[in-house]
Amino acid sequence: MNVEALHRRARQARARAQVRRWQYRQRHHAQGTWHLLARLLADSRAVFVVSESESEALGSEGIAAEAVGAMLEPPRTIRFVPEARIARLESRREIPVRLGPELLAARHLVLSRFGEGT
Amino acid sequence: MDFRGRLLATLQAIAPVLDVPDVVVIGSQVPNLLQPDLASTLVVSKDVDIGVPVTRHGAVKEALRHVRALHPSTEEPSVWVPVDPLLLEVNFVGMDESIDDTEETYVLEDAELPLMVFGALSLVRPGGTVAIEGTRIRLPRVAGLLLEKLLTERSGIKGDRDLLVALALIVLAADADLDEGVGAYRLLAPHLRHAVRANLSALSLMEPVEGMPDPRPQRARVAALLRRLDGSEPRP
Repeated sequence: MNVEALHRRARQARARAQVRRWQYRQRHHAQGTWHLLARLLADSRAVFVVSESESEALGSEGIAAEAVGAMLEPPRTIRFVPEARIARLESRREIPVRLGPELLAARHLVLSRFGEGT
Repeated sequence: MDFRGRLLATLQAIAPVLDVPDVVVIGSQVPNLLQPDLASTLVVSKDVDIGVPVTRHGAVKEALRHVRALHPSTEEPSVWVPVDPLLLEVNFVGMDESIDDTEETYVLEDAELPLMVFGALSLVRPGGTVAIEGTRIRLPRVAGLLLEKLLTERSGIKGDRDLLVALALIVLAADADLDEGVGAYRLLAPHLRHAVRANLSALSLMEPVEGMPDPRPQRARVAALLRRLDGSEPRP
């Protein structure tokens, strides 16, 4: 009986556990940045690209930028914005909620959060 | 025969094993069996995982001697393959409640039924039973299986499948199940809690996979669970 196959799988599982511990230790570095960005998106019902001027206007209204945006290179501004306010952003263009090319190409993003109507 | 019929016929074929105390169906078939009338519409795999407590290993081997419709695979010693191709493969997996480290994995060597024993399965506890035509099927408590699915480190299609099983469990879970899951989550080591949250984030962003349920309509539920887990984190 091929028990060696089971031992091989057990070794692979232990190796994956080692990788997971390493990823946790790296969470304040690049690995962690991706996790934080994914976490923001997981909280987001929808994602929009907006113009720099409208993003700045949101900032001047007191809507803070999420810290993870500054960790990216080049930096992005990413803000959670009430949906009623998003509806008044003329430059808004909705993009898929995923870590895809449209999101990564954008410099200014606004997100609508689950559980926040307006 | 539809998938539900294949699944139930397979479980009936291994009824002697399911009669062994504390043996549970685990894995992707659990959401199918939790549906009303065992509807089995959340199909994401074509095999059945059976959790065998290591303390019941001898009793399960004895019960397998009464199973006629399946036999051990020559390639995968912990897998039993059906004689009739309409039945599903059965994968036996070891559960060891005494493992403290949920990342530990070991092989229980045995000439008849060797088992992979996964530490994460120590989170799984036997739950209620469902009955089909005289066969009683023990299911795990939802909370433990959900955490196990969110902890198991896998990649590719297998990883996607585990996350979709987790999603199905989230959808089917009662409030009390989620409360229990959050409680068990708080007892995990920090890097494992991080892994659970990272996997939930990945689940939220998962694209539809052909032949599997589309996860996107359930994103709000995933976000709500993430918020609960964040809220239960110890203050720095």
